[in-house]
Amino acid sequence: MSLRLLRRCLSYLVLIVIGLVGIAPFAFLLILSFKTRLEVLDVPPSLHLHWATIRENYRTVIHDKGFLTFIRNSVVVTGAATVIALLLGVPAGYAFSRLRFRGSDTWASTILSFRFMPPVAVAIPIYLMIRQLSLANTDWGLILPYVAFSLPLVVWIMIGFFDEIPREIDDAALVDGCTRATVLLRVLLPLVRPGIIVAATFGVIFIWNEFLVGLYIISAQDKQTIPIAAAGLLTTESPIDWNIAATVGVLTVIPILIFSIFVQRYIVRGITSGAVR
Amino acid sequence: MAGTADPVSERRSGSLRAAPTQRRGEALLLLGPCVCYLIVFSVYPLVSSLVRSFEDYDSRRDTWRWIGLGNYRHLFGDQQFWHTVEHTAAFTFGSVALQVVGGVALAFFFNQRLRGATIVRGILILPMLLTPVVVGLMWRALLNPDWGMANWLLAKAGHSNVPWLSDPGTALRTLIMVDTWQWTPFVFIIVFARLQALPTEVFEAGEVDGAGWFQRTRYITMPLLLPAIAFAAIFRSIDAFRTFDLVYGLTNGGPVQATNTLSYQAFQNGFEFQHYGYASAISYVMVIVAAIGLTLLLRFVRVRRVAY
Repeated sequence: MSLRLLRRCLSYLVLIVIGLVGIAPFAFLLILSFKTRLEVLDVPPSLHLHWATIRENYRTVIHDKGFLTFIRNSVVVTGAATVIALLLGVPAGYAFSRLRFRGSDTWASTILSFRFMPPVAVAIPIYLMIRQLSLANTDWGLILPYVAFSLPLVVWIMIGFFDEIPREIDDAALVDGCTRATVLLRVLLPLVRPGIIVAATFGVIFIWNEFLVGLYIISAQDKQTIPIAAAGLLTTESPIDWNIAATVGVLTVIPILIFSIFVQRYIVRGITSGAVR
Repeated sequence: MAGTADPVSERRSGSLRAAPTQRRGEALLLLGPCVCYLIVFSVYPLVSSLVRSFEDYDSRRDTWRWIGLGNYRHLFGDQQFWHTVEHTAAFTFGSVALQVVGGVALAFFFNQRLRGATIVRGILILPMLLTPVVVGLMWRALLNPDWGMANWLLAKAGHSNVPWLSDPGTALRTLIMVDTWQWTPFVFIIVFARLQALPTEVFEAGEVDGAGWFQRTRYITMPLLLPAIAFAAIFRSIDAFRTFDLVYGLTNGGPVQATNTLSYQAFQNGFEFQHYGYASAISYVMVIVAAIGLTLLLRFVRVRRVAY
């Protein structure tokens, strides 16, 4: 009996350690963002909670660095790109799941393969293309390539979810006199809603974080998204102003943190939907 | 990030029998926009990269000149390229190996009832969602040689300072460690889901037959988990192979090129030095390797369908 108790205690100890390892980098970053420039250098690491310092750090980033603009840009770009990717990807997923046509498997695999292509291989041509279209430093300059990057994922996730709906439902609706379009819009779309949420979630995460391609498409500061701005702010400032860099980091993480609380189960579902059925 | 749905499933058993012409029209209508979009923004850039890899870019005059295999000849003769290949291979192999071991261990660990386990699993998802630049920032702070938490903890345990990012010998290992921190949960989630979906009867049968915990794990659980583990491993390998952002955020390829990966080298050559042609050649070598990995993954996905 006591052996079981010991094992139980050990398990909880391991659980706590796992949790700590997962969260330590976040915690350290948060603590840094509460410090002044000099307090950062404290050894052993100290915890400071002076409201004035905290307010000063966050005011500097939000106000002087224009962080709100970056959030606005990120929201616009991510929102638009995700919606367009869904508009293009959901019908495609439906077609691959329901219609049989020559080469459909090959087409589907080809689309998936784009998900695995190294981004650097397309980064340069896309950059040159966007520059040629005079879309550098505009929201569309980011939206257009980001749709293409998230589309393969959306299509594949949607194929999986459409496949899970029994075909008999389509047949029944068709027999009742619905057209194919009404079947998709009125009958199937409500049924694949979880799939759409999963696809949207993965699209949002990917687009929200992308910066390799964006870094060069956007050079004007008022058009930068959060990761692009963060990349700029962090490489130039981190050696000196660690407290400010940390504050940028914390403000970058917070939207993701809030988002992840809402979509956690969809993330798990998205990752496992292919590997575990 | 991964969505890994598998459409190859029951497509063949379709019960819909529309007229062929009507079907073609519908397919065109539903797929056309998506396919056209990808042709413009994915196929065209890929083809363009291939063409550019046979050309030389003159940044002063903004002109391209055909040089045939020149870039590739230069590339394969370049010592630095082979070093980068070595680093990329070591990084890919090292981090995927650690992540698979860690992910499987975590899956077994969480396969028991523990209070608060859901919260910890929620925490484990977070690193995968982070903006890569911030991952780099966090770890550069933790590993700072002067005031970082890591060396302070090591000092308390009586260990000397570790030059995490400043020593060429350790920097690549540090990179592997951070990647493992971020992506072990991915393997964990896949393996854990599979583990939880296993039918309990098999284990009960094993127990009745007198198999101990080790034997049951070795001969029943592991073989059943293997497809999921292999899937996660191949998936992660392709992603680790093209790692760019972690290098960008953490080491910038240094010190002395010790953590330069193929993606980062291509990025540097392209965007920093404007050697677009040379960068395209590097990235095309990557495309070919990624394609081989992908073929493996796709074959595997199909095989898996038959196996279950």
